[in-house]
Amino acid sequence: MTGDYDAVIIGGGAVGCSVARWAREHGGRVLLLEREDGLLQRASYANQARVHNGYHYPRSFLTALRSRVNFPRFVDEYSDCIERGFAKYYAVARNYSKVTSEQFATFCRRIGAPIAPAPSEVHRLFNPALIEDVFLVEEFAFDARRLAARMLASLEALGVELEFGADVERLAPEPDGTVALRYRAGGEERQVRARRAFNCTYSQINRVLHASGLPLIPLKHELTEMALVQVPPELEQVGVTVMCGPFFSLMPFPPRGLHTLSHVRYTPHGWWDDRGGPLGRSLADLRASRESNYPRMIRDAQRYLPMLRHSRYVDSLWEVKTVLPSSEADDSRPILFRRDDTMPSLTSIMGGKIDNIYDVLEELEEERASVVPA
Amino acid sequence: MTVRSDLFVSVVAPVRNDAGIVTPFVDEVIAVLRTHYLNYELVIVDDASEDGTVEAIRPLLDRYECIRVVQLSREFGEEIAIAAGLDSVIGDFVVVMVPNTDPPALIPSFIDRARQGAGVVFGIRSERVGDSALVRLFAPLFYWYDRHFLHLNIPKDSSQFRALSRQAVNAVVQIRDRSRYLRVLSADVGYAHTGIAYQPINRNPERPVRSLWNRLNVAIDIVVANSRHPLRFVTLLGVTGAALNALYAIYVIVIFFIKRRVAEGWTTLSLQSAGMFFLVCLVLAVLSEYVGHILVELSHRPLYYVRDEQNSRAPIADQDRRNVVTQSLAP
Repeated sequence: MTGDYDAVIIGGGAVGCSVARWAREHGGRVLLLEREDGLLQRASYANQARVHNGYHYPRSFLTALRSRVNFPRFVDEYSDCIERGFAKYYAVARNYSKVTSEQFATFCRRIGAPIAPAPSEVHRLFNPALIEDVFLVEEFAFDARRLAARMLASLEALGVELEFGADVERLAPEPDGTVALRYRAGGEERQVRARRAFNCTYSQINRVLHASGLPLIPLKHELTEMALVQVPPELEQVGVTVMCGPFFSLMPFPPRGLHTLSHVRYTPHGWWDDRGGPLGRSLADLRASRESNYPRMIRDAQRYLPMLRHSRYVDSLWEVKTVLPSSEADDSRPILFRRDDTMPSLTSIMGGKIDNIYDVLEELEEERASVVPA
Repeated sequence: MTVRSDLFVSVVAPVRNDAGIVTPFVDEVIAVLRTHYLNYELVIVDDASEDGTVEAIRPLLDRYECIRVVQLSREFGEEIAIAAGLDSVIGDFVVVMVPNTDPPALIPSFIDRARQGAGVVFGIRSERVGDSALVRLFAPLFYWYDRHFLHLNIPKDSSQFRALSRQAVNAVVQIRDRSRYLRVLSADVGYAHTGIAYQPINRNPERPVRSLWNRLNVAIDIVVANSRHPLRFVTLLGVTGAALNALYAIYVIVIFFIKRRVAEGWTTLSLQSAGMFFLVCLVLAVLSEYVGHILVELSHRPLYYVRDEQNSRAPIADQDRRNVVTQSLAP
């Protein structure tokens, strides 16, 4: 792969794939570089697989409303990648919760998200001393494997050029305003030129910027662990999220036919920012010294949902989670969309949820509309 | 070398204005937990300290893993702080201890005893540190009354220092009474009990000791919250008073019929009314206690409000890379 491109996208996650498709649909030659050997291998895969429908953000009305808008779009467009065959319950904890069940129900009605009292046999599964109320809601899970296959097929059909196992080494501005992109793939150095480059590498965004001598973006990273568990039969068709504080979430994980157990307190193993921490260090290195937090997660979760003690631990999903420091305090999940000041041909894009791909597309459209040549 | 047990042990420590002693306390607790257990957590519940206790703990969150600090929104008292801790711990066995008086070195012996089948292991102070003579006099009376009349078996000289099994913790957290005394609650939920005598330490001798007045309040609270015995006593008193009154009325009537001139009688009359009013006042006093108690229990407010929770932060640092990126971040 040599020559000139209209757009090069670095990173083949959900965001990168969407940007590549958008770029190709707007004409020209498009190249997508991915370090792994397939699409959606990292953070787009190792997450709770939740298609957000607003419930998660009782403390950030705007994020909740955005989720409500994106939910039907995503569920409709990728209907063959959506797992709907489970009932999703939101339980509100009595103590330590930042919302009461009354507030939660009111919030759901305000954003127009479906909510109903959970049936009594479901209610009985929870510990009444710790859970104030349980609601049946409408929330789905996506299958990252099927999503990756879908996106691969669509990119190939569109004629986007893909290169896997590609490690981007440096971006440099050219005098004519394009960007020269050096990367290593298949054991050799390669270089391409592009009118625009999109840095969609999530936790690696600053690694790419730093290697290119560009100013960093303030990002906070967390090493996270979710446990993959085999739940007892009664919970197989069930997802549970306990709101709203240091609690847990149990979601079906379609690619493995198991559930992920994540915990606000025990899923994060440690954090760093790119100023002093390991910049772009490999996940394998990061987790090497860590022991699983599953014993903690399950001990806490089974206090609320006693039946969970019959779960069987299978595996853990480790990933680096990256957030904008601004979104920590208020629970909002804005996307990052930033055209580099010193190299305007480079745009860094990051989202935290799968349905952020629509927010990204809207940003791209808006940007295009504002700079349309006469 | 000791073999570390795979039990999960939680330690709950309520703090209030303990900035000066919290660091050595945490150091000692973590040292003991590390040596003996693979899985542990230390939950420090800050009861709205005003002397920078939370700031004193903050560096410890970086130094050690598995520490949590729960900050209550205002002062709720030690017992409620312990309740907030018990509500959030995840251990198979939970140790409750007061940093000022309870020695961390004893944690393993409390846990071992609890593992041998006791649901609750409580500490017995071998010496009542800082107690006045009056307190020493009243305390045995209180325990005696509780045992004989209230069937409330509060172990004598027991302290907050205790180990509870998961079963016992689950039972205790279901009790949402506002006037709560862990010593009473953990006795109330049953399970096998056993005591361990220990010599309390006194990390901060300047810490104000609880006054006699404070202790008297606690004693009345415990009695009222756990028994209707005093009310029953008042009922009996009232019935007796009423009976005497009735007898007196009969006496008056009989006298009226057999004596011709009943002129004097001022003495008996005033004696009678004074006596009855005395009883009525007493009845009202005790009733007000109970009405107050009912009021408190009926208000259904949360036991406490949590302002913030902070966990061990364990920043992941990479020595090799630390100096590579030195440029400042873009805003």
